[in-house]
Amino acid sequence: MIEIDIRLPLAHFMLEVRCALSANVTAIVGPSGAGKTSLIESIAGLRRAHGRIAIDNAVLVDTGQGIDLPPERRSIGYVPQDAALFPHLSVRDNIRFGGADSDRFDSLVAALELAAILSRTPASLSGGERQRVALARALMTRPRLLLLDEPLASIDQPLRERILLYLRRVRDLGIPMIYVTHQPFEALALSSWCVVLRNGAIAAAGPSRSVLADPDVAGSVDNVFEVSHPMHDRELGITRATTTDGLTLVLPYDQVAEARFPIVVRIRADDIVVFGEKPASISSRNIFEGTVSSLRASEGIADLIVTTPAPLTVRITRAAAHDLSLRVGSRVWLALRSRAFRIVG
Amino acid sequence: MAAISTVCIAPVALVLAAWSWRAGAKGLALDALAALPLVVPPTAVGFVLLEILSRRSVIGAFLERIGVEVLFTPKAVVLACAVMSFPLMFTAFRVAIETTDRRYFDVARTLGASPFRAFVRVTLPLAWRGLLSGVLLAFCRALGEFGATILIAGNIPGRTQTMALAIYDRVQNGNDHEAAVLVALVVGIAWVLVSISSILIMKQRRRLDA
Repeated sequence: MIEIDIRLPLAHFMLEVRCALSANVTAIVGPSGAGKTSLIESIAGLRRAHGRIAIDNAVLVDTGQGIDLPPERRSIGYVPQDAALFPHLSVRDNIRFGGADSDRFDSLVAALELAAILSRTPASLSGGERQRVALARALMTRPRLLLLDEPLASIDQPLRERILLYLRRVRDLGIPMIYVTHQPFEALALSSWCVVLRNGAIAAAGPSRSVLADPDVAGSVDNVFEVSHPMHDRELGITRATTTDGLTLVLPYDQVAEARFPIVVRIRADDIVVFGEKPASISSRNIFEGTVSSLRASEGIADLIVTTPAPLTVRITRAAAHDLSLRVGSRVWLALRSRAFRIVG
Repeated sequence: MAAISTVCIAPVALVLAAWSWRAGAKGLALDALAALPLVVPPTAVGFVLLEILSRRSVIGAFLERIGVEVLFTPKAVVLACAVMSFPLMFTAFRVAIETTDRRYFDVARTLGASPFRAFVRVTLPLAWRGLLSGVLLAFCRALGEFGATILIAGNIPGRTQTMALAIYDRVQNGNDHEAAVLVALVVGIAWVLVSISSILIMKQRRRLDA
């Protein structure tokens, strides 16, 4: 349990955050300049905020009682956006900076697949390699909390999926994580809880799937799935994989053939086609039957949540909603084109 | 003498530059104070030192009681060079440390390093080129020290005479040829050292940009 109740004056506004986080992985989502990095720097002890921060009853900051532990006594791992590897040290020495335990070193090098680059210098590494080294370096300290600033921002496909894979391994080690992102779908890929920050204040907080399904909060809405158990069919060009909700998705073979499952895929809410009756012959490989469980109309568009039973967010024009006479409880069929799926990682 | 004074002030300049860097806004007063000898006339600095070291002052009286003679001895040359070249070294150190990107220091601390350890293991190795360049500049400045030296050390050939004073002497005595040789020597040394210093700064920039 991480309790945060802090105030920190920034250039244009006051960062004021009050929340209690108990999820294994929490995402801090918000546009650039919302105060996300300042928030995690306050938790790490790199900025002196006013208020209280505690992790599992260990008080890190309580300015009322004059407590403000320096960063080196907080046991918090911090991976900044550009990894900030020490340029004068090799990868090996960078990782060892976090601690001298050789067993832990060996196991982290194995888990994050760093053996081949141990002697290299940070300047010669790719973005994804830097992130992994920074992750290993932070984990050497046996942190009680891991903070990640935009871990996927500077990384292209297909490396993103590798980083997500490693982050999932870290998640499975049981170290609580807080990570910052400006992309809602990145938050959905890893976190179970999310806090939406806007102009230094919490705009929304709750389970990631429900918070980020709200287009007002997330901007555009993506449907994000973690899929596993792939069944490839090279001849037909498709791969079937199962989501954590039990949905079977048909994905384009050429894009996922090399991936190491589980992976996270997304499809935009406006890439989903709605039918009033069961479509007879159609090229889309993913057809799901469901019930409209929520319908919200705003200027020109209608946002639906369709329970299939896994909830899918769909965005159509109001004209379409009208023609299909959609209302809560309506029975619909959804078509998801395989090639509209994007791999998050 | 210039070398001794440079070696003496380097640790002091490093500690103060590090402190000023960590102190942020509070360090500005120190920055300004340290830069003073750079902008006031050297003879003014010499006058202040003369007053401090004279028998009438507390410090001068104390030094006399313990039998340490400073004025008009080689010690005075070292002192004058040290005071006059300190601002250059301090400012160069300050810039060298500033350009190392504070985040490396911050990250080192989140990895469990104390401020001292983070500074020694991360900031110093990243700043060493800039630091060395500051040392070279200060050495050049000390070589050319004139105003403060002549006031507190006099101009005793072979004892308290710096290069600058020696040139002055030769010109006064109409010995232009010797003066020209000395000038050529000083210019040569300074040109080489300042060039090295510029190369070091350039390399440090390039490394930190990479």
